[in-house]
Amino acid sequence: MRLGLFPGCLMPTEQYGYEISLRKVLPMLGVEIVDVMDLSCCGEPLKSINQMLTLTLSTRSLAVFKKEGLDALVPCPMCHLALSEANRIVKEEEDMARRLNEKLSAEGLDYDGSVALYHTIDLVHDHIGLEKVKDMVKVDLGSPDMATHYGCHIIRPTELGRPVDAENPQKMERILEAIGARSNDYAEKLDCCGGPVLPVHPDTAVTKTGQKLQAVQEQGFDGMVLACPWCHKMYDSKQKKAGETVGAKLEVPVVYLTQLMGLAFGIPPGELGLDLNQSPVERLLQKDKEGA
Amino acid sequence: MGITDLTSMAEVETEARRELNERLLRLREEASYYCYQCAKCTAGCEAHKLLELEPHRIVALLKRGLVQEMVNSDIIWTCLSCFKCKERCPQKVAPVNILFALKNLAVASGKEVPGDYTAMLTSAMGMGLIQDVQTVTTRGGETRTREGLCLPPISVPTDPAKFQMTVMTVAMEKV
Ligand code: SF4
Ligand code: SF4
Repeated sequence: MRLGLFPGCLMPTEQYGYEISLRKVLPMLGVEIVDVMDLSCCGEPLKSINQMLTLTLSTRSLAVFKKEGLDALVPCPMCHLALSEANRIVKEEEDMARRLNEKLSAEGLDYDGSVALYHTIDLVHDHIGLEKVKDMVKVDLGSPDMATHYGCHIIRPTELGRPVDAENPQKMERILEAIGARSNDYAEKLDCCGGPVLPVHPDTAVTKTGQKLQAVQEQGFDGMVLACPWCHKMYDSKQKKAGETVGAKLEVPVVYLTQLMGLAFGIPPGELGLDLNQSPVERLLQKDKEGA
Repeated sequence: MGITDLTSMAEVETEARRELNERLLRLREEASYYCYQCAKCTAGCEAHKLLELEPHRIVALLKRGLVQEMVNSDIIWTCLSCFKCKERCPQKVAPVNILFALKNLAVASGKEVPGDYTAMLTSAMGMGLIQDVQTVTTRGGETRTREGLCLPPISVPTDPAKFQMTVMTVAMEKV
């Protein structure tokens, strides 16, 4: 499978651990990642300012994919939502599609809604398949109990067609089982990380982060696993601050799904960008030693 | 046409405002017909406990046509766009979309854009992404750059001037 990478903003500018682990792990599962030039922000972070801007940015990037003849690997749930919405509008709203295409023609681009989108979770679960994942496992992770966090935009709104179920998402859980980890459901599983109000209400955003992490910690999980650069920024990069806002000493190892998969595949932590995680991920590494 | 026009479109943007008002009118008709004020949206709202957003009240205010009041209020900027209200509304109303339209109208009416949005917008229009590449630190306190981590160059618009033209003109023409 050959896919163009739509990196978005956050992953390529600061969430390097996601990008490093993704580039390492997916090729082991038969995915060839192609770098596509001339892309931009998907526009979703600016939707509160101007929805038409969001739509234009998304459509333009999709047009670049069409020109390259590639479908897209979209590791960020927020980008995946914006691009899915652009696909729907271009396919369903003729007037709008015409207007967008008139503008795109200035850059020699055009778009028809034909680029297929894959997020990390559905790519691994639905398209690569769990059997292939299992075959790659070399290291016993010691069966850590991981709290899953999906990220709002990869599960909602269902109406738009999302790759994971909105109210009872289980695809990450199945992937975790395949790589020798566990996951129990918890009451706060669908709670938002708080990230989207960071630009306007930074303190509240981090409080939401802290509340969920505290719940995860109190319930005795070994760590948290996710596949969203925004959520990782909140739960990992801002964990210390989040702990301060809720008055708790938070020590929850937070990893990207692709980082944990890489560990199970026997890749050294350094090659998965695990030294970039700010949370105490070494505990997970100890766990795999205990289990070995 | 510059970035400032996008954030403070007071005079130039009468067309944009007209479009947004039309959109809100459609949303109002929909809400008036379907929303029966069950408040299920508020029950699950991620901004309810900490920021006191009550999406069912936003819908109620829209039904009564109190658009300007909401545009002038800070409450519209508390939504986390988690889409739970849209997902769970038994009547297929989407308070989140009403909130997006209200925020867009606030910006198009020349209200000050709150928080870090201006910086994100300026960066996105300038270099293509909401922020440029950052230097990060490892857990052990060592600094790392994208280049140093052997990651390929970032993907940004190859002709920024053309990119700005495409994106800005559409954004200005119909918000
Ligand atoms: S859930 Fe739907 S019907 Fe119920 S109050 Fe909210 S918008 Fe109205
Ligand atoms: S999208 Fe906004 S209004 Fe709707 S439930 Fe989430 S935070 Fe509340």
